[in-house]
Amino acid sequence: MTEPVAALFFTGMLLFMTGVYLLLGVRNLLRIVLAVEVLAKGITLMLLAAGFHRGAMGLTQSLIVTFIIVETILAAVMLALVVICQRTNSSLDIRLLSRLKG
Amino acid sequence: MALLIVLLGLLVLFAVLLGVSRDLLYAAAALAAASVILSIVLFSFGANVAAAFELSVCAGLITVLFVSTVSLTKDSDQKTEARLPALFLLPMLVLFAGISGFFVRWLAGVLPAAGQARAVTFQEVFWGQRMTDVLGQISLVLVGVFGLLAILRAKSAGRHHD
Repeated sequence: MTEPVAALFFTGMLLFMTGVYLLLGVRNLLRIVLAVEVLAKGITLMLLAAGFHRGAMGLTQSLIVTFIIVETILAAVMLALVVICQRTNSSLDIRLLSRLKG
Repeated sequence: MALLIVLLGLLVLFAVLLGVSRDLLYAAAALAAASVILSIVLFSFGANVAAAFELSVCAGLITVLFVSTVSLTKDSDQKTEARLPALFLLPMLVLFAGISGFFVRWLAGVLPAAGQARAVTFQEVFWGQRMTDVLGQISLVLVGVFGLLAILRAKSAGRHHD
């Protein structure tokens, strides 16, 4: 493994774990969306590292573009749900979501 | 290599700023900056199309969506946000760096040798070999649009009912 690939894998893993930590630690719904974005940055870096290592940048770019689209749709739907939750509960606290009714 | 390390260091720095900032608008700005740095990294590795997508969609669209949501929700819950995760973020980052080091060392042992795959352009892969992905992406965009419409319509219908 070359040094750039190792650096990419290292940073990708670091960002992934930071995202998971933030995801588990925060209570604000908007911060949860941000944590998912941090996690996604880490995954993008690891995809890039794997593709660069194998010398298949065409395939890697294709997968990264697909992942970015998935990430964007996820963020858009999550943010819409955040707006609805705020209007329903007058709060962004995730603990209040236990009082949802069907 | 030195430039790459600086860029990756900035990426981690912006992720940490995003985690510790009290103001959500600063956090959104940090996310946009992290996306810009990531797109520079992608450019430097020759992934030009992916870099353009990252720059326009992640640094642009998602940031605009996020700032709009912050302004819509008026960020009413800053006082209830626990400060403990932000305080422990730096020590945890050291722990995560150690785990990542072990991960990279383990990966170096199990990864197959660096390959030189046949030079295939992004266009050939995307429109030729990965056509199913394109169909999946179109479906995802439709799911996203219809999902948003359903969420917003359900809310407006609920209001009308009230």
